[in-house]
Amino acid sequence: MSRLAFSPEGVTFGACLVALGVLGTLANLDRIELLPILRTYWPLSLVLWGVLELVALWGRRSTQGRS
Amino acid sequence: MSLRKIALLILIVGFAATVETAWNLQGDVRFGPEGCRVMGGRFYGPSWSYEAAGERAVTAAAPRLEIENAFGGVTVSAGAPGVVKVRLRKVVYQPTEEKARAFADRIELRLTGDDGLVRVGTNREELGRSQETGFETHFEIEAPAASVAELRNEHGRVELRGLAAADVASAFDAVAIERVAGDVKLESRHGDVHVEGIGGTLQLGSRHGRVSVAAVRGAAKLDVQHGDVEARRTGSIEIAMAHGGLTLETVEGDLLVRSQHGDVSGTDVTGGADVESSFGGVRLERVGGELRARVQHGGVTASDVSGGADLETTHDSVTLERVAGPVQAVVEHGGVEARGLAQGARIRASGSSVSLDGFAGPVDVQVERGGARLAPGAAIAAEIAARVTHGDIQLEVPEGSRFDLEAESQRGRVDAPLAGLSADDEGRRGQRASGRHAEGGVSVRLDADGDVTLESRPARSRSDWTVARPRSSAKQAAEAAASPRPAASPAPSATPTPAEAAPPKPEKE
Repeated sequence: MSRLAFSPEGVTFGACLVALGVLGTLANLDRIELLPILRTYWPLSLVLWGVLELVALWGRRSTQGRS
Repeated sequence: MSLRKIALLILIVGFAATVETAWNLQGDVRFGPEGCRVMGGRFYGPSWSYEAAGERAVTAAAPRLEIENAFGGVTVSAGAPGVVKVRLRKVVYQPTEEKARAFADRIELRLTGDDGLVRVGTNREELGRSQETGFETHFEIEAPAASVAELRNEHGRVELRGLAAADVASAFDAVAIERVAGDVKLESRHGDVHVEGIGGTLQLGSRHGRVSVAAVRGAAKLDVQHGDVEARRTGSIEIAMAHGGLTLETVEGDLLVRSQHGDVSGTDVTGGADVESSFGGVRLERVGGELRARVQHGGVTASDVSGGADLETTHDSVTLERVAGPVQAVVEHGGVEARGLAQGARIRASGSSVSLDGFAGPVDVQVERGGARLAPGAAIAAEIAARVTHGDIQLEVPEGSRFDLEAESQRGRVDAPLAGLSADDEGRRGQRASGRHAEGGVSVRLDADGDVTLESRPARSRSDWTVARPRSSAKQAAEAAASPRPAASPAPSATPTPAEAAPPKPEKE
């Protein structure tokens, strides 16, 4: 049985799209100002991606160790 | 490194570069009016206030008043007859007072029309085309009490009171309309709405915001999309609601409600009540006419209904107290609990039990997956038929009852210890009973999967069945008259002011 591989960049891309959509909606509702928030927090996407890559690496090593 | 990772990295870096570029450009390129920011339809930033005034004579008995504004509040009230007085407060958003004053001088109060029509506005359109300065124009208008007002405002609170009739459209802010002798039409897009003291009819549309309506003498028609509605002391009322709860108090006439998501609660409806709701319960007290309710995913609770009740609900129960007319109820996935049904009931329920306590008149009950408890209020004098699956039937037999019994239990026992009734065994499972009690009379047919029990008891007093009539608004008006409110009309200014004659008074806001 095939198993879907965990893709850090896929998760990061999806999470960024969700965050961008939520922020855009809040900005349209005049709850926030979009530009300053994007300017401040965009590096978090790199942090998220990096963490997910580390998790994936750790998961691969654990799997290899067991086999 | 895979191609996908490289693509994502380029995407993030490109996105960051775009954001940074936009941020840097924002400091050099002007977005929106100079010297202020616009959020939620309001200006923010340093501002200065200036005033102007004007007036216009009107000779018509019922002059028309047309008011148009974009940014700023509008207050209209009843004033001296024969003249329309306008006070304009200009709020200009500029970094310096010098700039603000120069711009305010260009804002003109426009009072046009003829003997029977007064148009109130400003030259905002002309200024808006050439300048990008944020400014608000707040109107305070006094008009003859016989005036008919047509008011259009975009961003700003609207208050109107003491006129003959009104047609108001407001986009973003609260609206209050009080003491209007004739008809009122109101369209509000975003903002709370309060309407009180209307002598004619009311037609109200609201998209977002709470709605409060009180003391409307004529018929009222409300269309509310998002927001709770509270209506007190109205004439016949018709309400369409999408999202929000509805609270009603004293409807002098018929009630018609079409609600999608929200509870409906009302007291004292002198006419009939017709309520449909998709998600939300319905609770009504003291209905003077027929009650019709169709509720999906919610229950119906009603008391003191002077007419009959025609009810359909799903996924919740029906509770009734003191219904003068015949009751018809179809309940899916819910039961029925009723007290004081004067003219009997026809009930179909599934998923829960039916309990009728203190009823008269013919009763026809069918229950799936539930039992039935029937307790007539007086001697049985009309036909009773009950059929239940997966449940028991209990029938209380008041003294003086005369009936012919046919009772059958499919799997249980029939317990009928009354004179003239006898039970026969039907093998190992089930039992039947039949006979004439007290020389016979009306037909009583009971059929259950479980046990069937008949129990003799004394007759009860019917005094607790008395249906309370709705309290009319006349009674409530008498109560209100006992605590009078101060007169509404403000005293008009004694010294008329020529148009645009008032010197600008800078006030840092």
